Amino acid sequence: MQAYAAKLIDLIELKAENIAKQWADDVMKHNRTPSYHSLPKDMVIAQGINFYRLFRRMSLAENPYEEAKTFSWIYAENLYRKKIPLQEAIYALMLMRRNLWLYAEFQGTFVTALEKQQAVESLNRTILMFDYVSYQVTEKYQELTSGEVEKILHAVKTLMVKGCVGGEKSIYKLGLVTIFLIAAVILTYYYQSVLGTEVVFTHLFYLPIVWASVCCGRKGIYVAIFLAVLILTSHAIFLKGIPFSEDIIRALMFVVVGGVIGWLMEDIRKLKELFR
Amino acid sequence: MKAFTAKLVDLTQNNAETIARQWAKDVKTNEKTYTYHEETEAKILLQAKYFYNNFQLMFFNESPYEQAKEIFDKYAEERYKEGIPLHEALYALILMRRHMWLYAEFQSLFNIEIDHRQAVESLSRTILMFDYIMYVVARKFWKLMKLEWQAKENTE
Repeated sequence: MQAYAAKLIDLIELKAENIAKQWADDVMKHNRTPSYHSLPKDMVIAQGINFYRLFRRMSLAENPYEEAKTFSWIYAENLYRKKIPLQEAIYALMLMRRNLWLYAEFQGTFVTALEKQQAVESLNRTILMFDYVSYQVTEKYQELTSGEVEKILHAVKTLMVKGCVGGEKSIYKLGLVTIFLIAAVILTYYYQSVLGTEVVFTHLFYLPIVWASVCCGRKGIYVAIFLAVLILTSHAIFLKGIPFSEDIIRALMFVVVGGVIGWLMEDIRKLKELFR
Repeated sequence: MKAFTAKLVDLTQNNAETIARQWAKDVKTNEKTYTYHEETEAKILLQAKYFYNNFQLMFFNESPYEQAKEIFDKYAEERYKEGIPLHEALYALILMRRHMWLYAEFQSLFNIEIDHRQAVESLSRTILMFDYIMYVVARKFWKLMKLEWQAKENTE
């Protein structure tokens, strides 16, 4: 295979820059690669040259698939950072291969019967290389997309117990929420009934509110509503004569905080599902 | 072009079942298509038959790109719903093309001098079709991912 394809490899090696320039002209105005139209031409040409030089390296390598990664991963990473959609990155590769072949045909590289046979082998070789590169580029794109989402989620994930939202160990989550709620009822009773004070113990209520919203998403708002009703009812029963205004504000804040966190957690869960 | 390439397409069409079986065996063991390993052979075979039976339509169409969109948008949508990662779906297509060609080689379809010329033409045409298919599939996957995300946002 290597011997048959040698002619094409030599041609590519010698004319890498010329072919890359033709490819750059093509890809920078092709209607299926619109994101390339505004890229700097020098950068596009350099990409092309790297691809064409890979051809010899792959033909010499013991493991061409591994060798292909030296190009594919950098190619994918560069284009991903420039926000080029995957289908365009793949189509640009196709144009690279097409231009390579067009150049060889234009130079009359394969004319005689033997050369035609070589052409078939060379074509097969080119396609194999392209198969490897397109697979690796797609894989890398997916890896980068997932990586980016993971990075975005990282700060929030540190707040979350593993698998918290929609996780399997929901019995433990519910158990903890129940413990928090019982503690809240006891605290409310103790402070408002026994001590008869409106001291700001209710800040502690944010613990179950945040926990429930992080664990249960939007359903976590029920915990906030329960606690809001609890302090208002308790106020009505035990703190007669003291104005309601402060507890009403507290109750509203519980619901707002619980709602916002729950809503954000739902978004994060959906994002995680999407990029799993 | 049609005269040169008809041989390969006819062979593929007439032996779609055999080529599909060879492909299915490959895709179920290939390390780059591991999601397929757990699928039943019957289910996988349907994909390949769909592909090989529709390939002819595309091959001789005056506007193969439009035909590719019509046929492979559906193919991409089905793979997406099955949860096949894009790089594996694309590699499965690559293997389909390889098996088509392997079968032709095995049948000594292109032996004599004139046949080599035909082989080059057939290969070039086949690759062009695959370029369109891969582009259409990648684009559809990307679109579906975006749509799914938007739909989830709208349900809130």
